[in-house]
Amino acid sequence: MAINPPEARTLQAPVPAPPLAESAGEPVQQSSLWRDAYRRYLRNKGAVAAGIVFTIILLYCFLIPGFWIIPGIWTTIFDIDPNQVNFAETYLPPSIEHPFGTDQFGRDLWTRVAKGGQLSITIGFAATFAILVIGIAYGSISGFIGGRLDNAMMRFLDALYGLPYLPFAILALAIIGTVNFWTMVIALTIASWFTAARIVRGQVITLKQNDYVRAAQAVGARWHRVLVRHLLPNTLGVLVIFVFLELPNVVLGEAFLSFIGLGINPPDASWGSLASEGREAYRTHPLDLWIPCLFIAALVLCANFIADGLRDALDPRTKET
Amino acid sequence: MAAFIIRRIFWTIPVLLLVIFMIFVMMRQIEGNPFRRTERAVPPAVQANLERKFNLDKPWYMQYLLYVKGVFTLDLGPSLTQTDRDVMDIVKEHFPRSVKLGVFAFMWAIIFGIPAGVIAALRPNTVYDYFLMFFSSIGFALPSFFVATLLIYYFANKLNVVPTNGWPLGFWDVDSRVILPSLALGLYPMAYFARLVRGTMLETMQQDYVRTARAKGLRWKNIVARHVFRNSLIPVVTATAPLFGLVITGTFVIEIIFSIPGIGRYFINSVSSRDYAVVMGITVLTSIVIILANLFVDIAYGFLDPRTRTSRT
Amino acid sequence: MRRKTWLMLVAALIAVFTLAAAGCGGDDDDDAGQADTGTTDTGGPAAEQVLRIAWGAEPPSLDPGKATDTTSSNVILALMDPLVKLNPDTLEPEASLAESWEVDGPTVTFNLRDDATWTNGDPVTAQDFVYSWKRTLSPELAADYAYQLYGVKGAAEYNGCTKGDCSKLADAVAVTAVDDHTLQVELTSEQPWFLGQVSHHSFLPVHQATVEEFGDNWTDPANIVTNGPFMLESWDHEASINLVKNPDFRDAENVTLERIEGSIIVDGVTRVQAFEAGEVDALDGLGLPPEEIDRLKTEPYYELYPALGNYYYGFNVENIGLDQRKAMSLAINRKIITDQIDKTGRSQATGFTPEGIKGFDVINPNSPWLPPEGDMEQAQTFMDQEPNPKTDINLFHNDAPGHKEIAVAVQSMWQELGIETTIKAQEWAQYLEFLGPPPNKAVDAYRLGWIYDFPDAINGLELFTCDSGNNNTNWCNEEFDGLVEEAKQTVDDEARYEIYRQLEGVMFDEDGEVPLSPIMWYTYNNLETDAVRDTFFISPLDQIDFTKVVVQGG
Repeated sequence: MAINPPEARTLQAPVPAPPLAESAGEPVQQSSLWRDAYRRYLRNKGAVAAGIVFTIILLYCFLIPGFWIIPGIWTTIFDIDPNQVNFAETYLPPSIEHPFGTDQFGRDLWTRVAKGGQLSITIGFAATFAILVIGIAYGSISGFIGGRLDNAMMRFLDALYGLPYLPFAILALAIIGTVNFWTMVIALTIASWFTAARIVRGQVITLKQNDYVRAAQAVGARWHRVLVRHLLPNTLGVLVIFVFLELPNVVLGEAFLSFIGLGINPPDASWGSLASEGREAYRTHPLDLWIPCLFIAALVLCANFIADGLRDALDPRTKET
Repeated sequence: MAAFIIRRIFWTIPVLLLVIFMIFVMMRQIEGNPFRRTERAVPPAVQANLERKFNLDKPWYMQYLLYVKGVFTLDLGPSLTQTDRDVMDIVKEHFPRSVKLGVFAFMWAIIFGIPAGVIAALRPNTVYDYFLMFFSSIGFALPSFFVATLLIYYFANKLNVVPTNGWPLGFWDVDSRVILPSLALGLYPMAYFARLVRGTMLETMQQDYVRTARAKGLRWKNIVARHVFRNSLIPVVTATAPLFGLVITGTFVIEIIFSIPGIGRYFINSVSSRDYAVVMGITVLTSIVIILANLFVDIAYGFLDPRTRTSRT
Repeated sequence: MRRKTWLMLVAALIAVFTLAAAGCGGDDDDDAGQADTGTTDTGGPAAEQVLRIAWGAEPPSLDPGKATDTTSSNVILALMDPLVKLNPDTLEPEASLAESWEVDGPTVTFNLRDDATWTNGDPVTAQDFVYSWKRTLSPELAADYAYQLYGVKGAAEYNGCTKGDCSKLADAVAVTAVDDHTLQVELTSEQPWFLGQVSHHSFLPVHQATVEEFGDNWTDPANIVTNGPFMLESWDHEASINLVKNPDFRDAENVTLERIEGSIIVDGVTRVQAFEAGEVDALDGLGLPPEEIDRLKTEPYYELYPALGNYYYGFNVENIGLDQRKAMSLAINRKIITDQIDKTGRSQATGFTPEGIKGFDVINPNSPWLPPEGDMEQAQTFMDQEPNPKTDINLFHNDAPGHKEIAVAVQSMWQELGIETTIKAQEWAQYLEFLGPPPNKAVDAYRLGWIYDFPDAINGLELFTCDSGNNNTNWCNEEFDGLVEEAKQTVDDEARYEIYRQLEGVMFDEDGEVPLSPIMWYTYNNLETDAVRDTFFISPLDQIDFTKVVVQGG
């Protein structure tokens, strides 16, 4: 899994800002944590741009070919099926009807790349979510209970932290036998949940020391209530950032696995398998390689910039000039 | 300090056993007969013979224990599919090549990535900064197989300045074949370091003690060299261990594209052919290397940041 | 800011240093530019006779007893001298190590040359063959290709020996050394194809003393002892394998090549790139990426060779009924597959036995179930007729270049019949295991191919007997088995071809059972530079004869 870009400092849970006092005559909006963060985020032009591009990519991947029960815009208007083989129309150059041209089976690349992106992104989100869930469970139990259990669990994690995900993912896929959406998610999750657990655990430990937590415990709140009502919401910011950092890693991971040949079965495609096919045709049809790779790169970049922006926005200390 | 080191080392052993066990279990779950290489089915008598030869007929816990014993005596057993080679031979021959690839990749990363980050930090929001960060973003986001394909196509096929594939085999041999693969592999850590160094330096420069030093009138370049740079190195060192694991991952793909006879390609082939011995050998070895790398980083971190030596959260 | 400039300077210096060191070191002699040399002055052989070839796989073994794949086979056949070689055009056996032979019913006697020697000086004797063949058959060696020798009397029994003392069975294997230079073989029946079969690498001799001394490591370059036109100079696993001419070879004056430098490049795209950068003179015919073929076909360095092999889709007859099998077979438009997907100029199959096999004109059934352009209408009729249609099927194939694309095409063709096909790719080892026999229940259709071991149709047709370890269809037909036995006993070629025709008929005639649907007959496509193109040749059995290769000068 790619490593998350620089975490230059450990994250602290954001401190809620006190409400502004009313001054005479001027109604003042009560500022909240999230609104402040939102405003700070908007000031970061790079992050805003990244957010826009990210949304555009999502719209492209989900609305063009349609997903689940929702029909796609492009596929309905032009009546194109990204998996429809048509030997009369192979390798057509880009045109209005086929903005990216067609591949060697005559399939429209514009919708195919969109569908592929849908698959890659969905796997990405699914795996990230799974990683999050496992990580939260592991990390919060470890951090909250503390003591010897925490020690043991962290030792285990520390050692596994740096293990490369690819061999494990390959083994997992070989065991499961088939490669489809769910097995990819499982394989990618198994291989990368360590980071999430570590982060959550660090957060939990930090927060445990906070006064309001102690107050809650002093009042007699049970540990799971404290966990759910106090600790987790305050780590939300960190977790959101984590999602945007982990998503590109998973997408890249899926691309690598597809490239090696452990990808989704045809005729479905993901960006990774499209890139692998594109590589073989590079001499004659370079676009077939450039397009999926640029999309991957765009997604990775945007997600990272968004994460950076979120981090700056949620932590008030950074932006003092 | 010594206690710290000893404690860390002590803990690696159970972790290693656990890793071996996990891989052992995983490997056994995979369907497929390692002894069948052609369309012909293996006659049952022959199959039985081979299984006996490789201890595959013993109960699983016996196999596991035998294997663990083997690991610690550096005997990882014979390869199941290449009957004339031991796993240890295979590893000894191929692993150094992957290591060399990784080392060269890291060299690119350190030699170009760190100075890039320094420059960008010292000239924030200027042309240099944007330029460097732009390129590091590209290096960061583009998948390495893409970069590799482009590099081969333009530098090896079109311009013909370097060979398209291959790898110098002797341990100390270096020739032009190392350039493209290590560059393709090193681009990601390079970009990573650049951004990391820039980020930490910028942050360090805002710290109070730096401001104090400036206010006191110390020369800026001294401040940068003595305080800012050194303190920025700590996160870099910390990042090295997981980056290392990442580089190892990257070698799988790079080795295929550049036809480098390293351990990554061997691993994939061995999983395909169900050569349990080789798969386990490679995974165990890689895990050991990474666990050791983590250990090393932890210790180095202990030296660099005195705060960690006393407490351990 | 001097620190910054100093850092930049250091970085630049190191970069320059690295590039310089890399540029000066190493053995990268890429003086050649693009490999498509238009007009080479082929004024005779080059001064330096070095062939650089790119192997598509690491040879799993150089032991003739253990090797099963074509890469190993080609290297071994360069290192060793077989009893007979097949003429590349006629596929008739020609004298090699055996200078003559007599066939008397089931007894074949080979008269060996007396000037053949091993690389350590020992003469090659008939005992070497006796030792080697029995070794290949021995249960301890567990050789995958032991079955190649089952034509010899007593061989199958010895190989199948599971317990007890097998030495009696070993002695009963009917291959004997009458004297140092006469090898007598008694077959289970009269087998006209045996002489051709003996050219296969499984029948090569090994040097007994070397094998006994070094065991599994006898093929290491330091230990290996061979008797052929080339010697093994070095073998860096997964990287390269280099051969050098054997000056003591009995026919050395007719071998022009001095060295064969083999790089092992597994990735297809990389192989093509290496060739086009001028780093290798020829590839080994193992396969080119399908997307590149359109472009490569127009280049002068593209070569196409006919092959004795076929590519077929098998059915699990327990899952798919007869009418549906017929429908699925009719639905496949083979012409599209060969012309637009595979693009290597292969012929559409109209039966199982490929073109080029002796007697093809008699054997080929021109099956009504294998129309070259498919017949969707008829297919639909049969599909509708099927009492138990299975509309949700799994199509398996192994994970090698080209198969996926063909599967996708067939998937779309079957879709028109209302069949939803799920394509599943598996790695070779797992794939073979999955196919059994008997095949895993999930298998409805699967892809396989067969490259013939020797140029007789029986080699392919006997794959589908009830007991065959290569029959993954669950199809068992007594009549078929009976005909196979009969064919094995029939000596007269013409009569035997008639029986082969009947065998094809059981499968593919109007009333045939269509247990499989052949798609196309193989060709090999390869890239070769001008310098070697005239003499570099891949035989229909996928063998390269390096003794004939001459590098032309430029």
